[in-house]
Amino acid sequence: MTAPAPATAADDPVASEALLDVRDLRTYFKVMDGVVRAVDGVSFSVAPGETLGIVGESGCGKSVTALSIMRLHDTPPTWTPTDANAERIPEDVRTLLGDAPPSRVMFEGRDLLALSEDEMRQVRGNDIAMIFQEPMTSLNPVFTVGEQITEAVMLHTKASKKDALDKAVDSLRAVGINNPERRVKQYPHEMSGGMRQRVMIAMALSCDPKLLIADEPTTALDVTIQAQILELIREIQDRTGAALMLITHDLGVVAETVHDVVVMYAGRVVETGTVDDVLLTPKHPYTEGLLTSIPSRGMRGQRLNVIKGTVPNPFNMPTGCNFAPRCPYVFGPCTDHDPRIEDADPADVACWQYTPAPGSAIPPRAHLRRSSEVSA
Amino acid sequence: MVKFIVRRSIGLLPLLLGVVVISFLLMRAAPGGPQAALSGIKSLTQEDRDAWVKQWCLQPVDASDPVYVQMGKMMIEFGGWLGVLNCNNTGAQAFVSDSGNLNVLPTFLGGGDNGIIHGDLGSSIKAGRPVTEVISERIPATLILTSTALVLWVGVAILLGTYAAVHRYSLFDQAVTFFAYVFYSLPTFWLGLMLIFFFGVALGLVPTGGIITTRDWPPFNTPQYWEAFGQDPLGAVSDIGRHLILPVATLVAVNIAADSRFVRASMLESLGQDYVRTAKAKGLPGRTVIGKHAFRNAMLPVVTNVALELPFLFSGAIVTETIFTWPGMGRLFIDSVGARDYFVLMGLLLVTSVFILLANLLADVLYAVIDPRIRYD
Amino acid sequence: MSSIPADDPGLTSPAPGSADYEVALQSLNQWQLAWRRFKRHRLALVGAIIFAGMLFLAIFGPIIWPYDPLALRRDLPGPQGFSPLEMPPMGSDGGGRAVWVLVANGARLSMIIGITTMLIAVTIGITVGGLAGFFGGRTDTILMRFVDLMLTIPFLFIILVAARFFGGGELIPLILIFGLLSWPGLARLVRALFLSLREQEFVQAARAVGVGSLRIAFRHILPNAVGPIIVSATLLVANAIILEAFVSYLNFGLKAQDISWGNALAKSQQTIAVGNWWWPFFPGMAIALTVIAINFIGDGLRDALDPRSKE
Repeated sequence: MTAPAPATAADDPVASEALLDVRDLRTYFKVMDGVVRAVDGVSFSVAPGETLGIVGESGCGKSVTALSIMRLHDTPPTWTPTDANAERIPEDVRTLLGDAPPSRVMFEGRDLLALSEDEMRQVRGNDIAMIFQEPMTSLNPVFTVGEQITEAVMLHTKASKKDALDKAVDSLRAVGINNPERRVKQYPHEMSGGMRQRVMIAMALSCDPKLLIADEPTTALDVTIQAQILELIREIQDRTGAALMLITHDLGVVAETVHDVVVMYAGRVVETGTVDDVLLTPKHPYTEGLLTSIPSRGMRGQRLNVIKGTVPNPFNMPTGCNFAPRCPYVFGPCTDHDPRIEDADPADVACWQYTPAPGSAIPPRAHLRRSSEVSA
Repeated sequence: MVKFIVRRSIGLLPLLLGVVVISFLLMRAAPGGPQAALSGIKSLTQEDRDAWVKQWCLQPVDASDPVYVQMGKMMIEFGGWLGVLNCNNTGAQAFVSDSGNLNVLPTFLGGGDNGIIHGDLGSSIKAGRPVTEVISERIPATLILTSTALVLWVGVAILLGTYAAVHRYSLFDQAVTFFAYVFYSLPTFWLGLMLIFFFGVALGLVPTGGIITTRDWPPFNTPQYWEAFGQDPLGAVSDIGRHLILPVATLVAVNIAADSRFVRASMLESLGQDYVRTAKAKGLPGRTVIGKHAFRNAMLPVVTNVALELPFLFSGAIVTETIFTWPGMGRLFIDSVGARDYFVLMGLLLVTSVFILLANLLADVLYAVIDPRIRYD
Repeated sequence: MSSIPADDPGLTSPAPGSADYEVALQSLNQWQLAWRRFKRHRLALVGAIIFAGMLFLAIFGPIIWPYDPLALRRDLPGPQGFSPLEMPPMGSDGGGRAVWVLVANGARLSMIIGITTMLIAVTIGITVGGLAGFFGGRTDTILMRFVDLMLTIPFLFIILVAARFFGGGELIPLILIFGLLSWPGLARLVRALFLSLREQEFVQAARAVGVGSLRIAFRHILPNAVGPIIVSATLLVANAIILEAFVSYLNFGLKAQDISWGNALAKSQQTIAVGNWWWPFFPGMAIALTVIAINFIGDGLRDALDPRSKE
């Protein structure tokens, strides 16, 4: 389900069943000081009703990925190469893109990146809904909660005002808010953070979307509320059958909530797999670093493990593997060649330890390939 | 909401009191005081002068008095001006009106009829008529000028600023920014003079001063004028309208320049907020996202800003009325300063300050209407 | 952050993308950054040049082109004086005196009034606003009530009355009047700045270490508030210049024997009707240019000193 898709849909029977199929997504920002490769060739897919987590630290491009799928970026200064905009891409962005294939975001068989703005608007909120990190500021302070929910409902379902209001009340009840009839007339500032996030979820679900994208939904909340919200998301996802794409930097959240996971670093996917596989037996050194850096009780009195170094300067990415400067296993090919997960074999980790680098023979950890792909 | 208004109004009372005190102090502190002005008017008989002194509790000025005596005299004059004291009587009886009750009480309850509490702002030393009369006949002209200017100023600034924000960095935006800079820096009265020359004298398109064409109409705000108005309302309005063009343009140019940039900045900030992103993510059309979600939040600081700038609208009216010989309160003010017509000056100060306080109150109410977070403060 | 491995032989030049590359980038202090940003702002530089030109006139104008109020001409072509064609570069006033001389001489008093008014207003404004914002509570309420009062009364009203009654046409009383009445706006700004900065964590940190209140106010908070204050100060200069011009135009300001740009404009309105546009135009243009220049500089300063400014 999460393996990168081959070049055309015709070759890939799996992809045609997928609800969301992101291929070669690239999003570059052209800013005053240069070009930032925020998302640099990301591919994954989500089947109907499935749950996928996108994990990585701040700045790795996971939020940008979600916003690119929803086409919520302004072009310019943001550029995602498609067939349509090939001529309009600025010089320096084009240089960096090189001969990268155009990006595609296939949703139910349609390429979202090729839709007109009007068509895209009908997708937003309706087929794909998104909730954001900061419930405090993501709701408009001058309108009631009810007004903000009914607005979406009336837009997408052509419901009357009264029906939309009923739907809003139902949505609030479905996310566990007591007294929804009263709450629906309240303003966001009259609610707590956790409740506001519930409202956001209610708003997202009010039009029965097929895919829910949640961008760090619990990061801004207290730990106890976090657990409630995550459980709510899971429960709703079960109940409505919507697919879930959960973006977070918190491995604990991922472990509890989703089935499959994609690990991102510096704008690229570095490892994919089921949650069990990736979190219990991480293969990429970055994933390993993330997991071992989580403090546990047994470590009392010892130094914490850290991944040395910092995230690379977006204007000045390293040659070779993006992670090489920080990697404890760095060896020969790492600083010369850039491992990409699409070319990787086995196809779930972007690292020269598992995939033979050009010019080298057997990679050092070839024996750790996943059992299903071990060749004779 | 009513409670909100009441609470805010009560909060303004100290300011009102302060304004009253300041008006009084300012005038009295000027060299000479009303005494000097009174003696300067030859047409008054000594009887008239004595009546005035009594009416206003004017105390003989004597620089050799010890400080506390001078302060005491000032307090007495203040009391007389307010209408708390009745200087037809002396001593403690001064608090009692001619009809025997406390002077402070409203007139119909038996109190006195002097002082601002009772609506008596004194008499214009120059015109010999009650100040209330002199001021109120000037109010319509000023009101016409400032309200037209206010509507234009706020309306155009909002339109320009919003459009510029939505089409950031476009040619329109850059042009608006450039002109805003230029106009913001021009001294208003110089702009007025240049406009008079260019459009009035050189091109002859618009009248160069006054509120009405004096050949065709009786003097403004006289009974004859209103009669003529009734006979030809359209003609009268268009006549005034033609005379309004240059003064209003002068009055609003600077304000539009400044505020359109402010609206633009406020709109840009609002457009960058998370809730705008949420609105887009819901699939709302651009018009709704901008016109409904971003706009309403962006207007909050704009409302405050306009309220804060209202005093400057009145100051600007002084400038404009002087240059364009507009028969309003601003012109009256300048004439009165020149003539040291104290009571008129004090009255004008009071009246405009009250207007401004009311405008601030209105702004507060508007703010509460737009932003529900304030309502239950 | 970056842990240097035990076997690192020494600091070699860090490669781009490496962990140590970030640290090796040259770090500029706040003021150097600000100067760099200011230089990038072309309009601000233009403004600075124009302002420098006006300063030059202010200092050297009366020396190079002395003004003689009695230099009336007898050979006037009419009440409108000489046009710029007849008497380049700026024509003459109604009495035949060259407008250029008026402009060159008026710079001095106009600039003096602008700058000194600003200095007075800034001093009072920072003190009052700083005290109110920093100590809060009762002090704040009392001071701000007073500021509110001053802001309620129409500014021009008070200025004109005070200038007429107390000014007497002399420079120093006028400066004092302007300065003493211009500070409330700045005080409000400073108060808001201090109020918000006071709650910032670096103040709490300083307090936790035991730094005393006054020291906190001056050494910690004030430097952070300096940016908006400087911008407002430049605007005050501009406003003071315009204000003086109007007050003098009404003959409530400087006496006729002194020359400022405002004074120069004073009698020019009468000659507009007879076609003399250059007499009011050029001195007014000088004011406008100076003010535009100041506004550009102010804008450049605002961008330069605001660490969050995006452009």
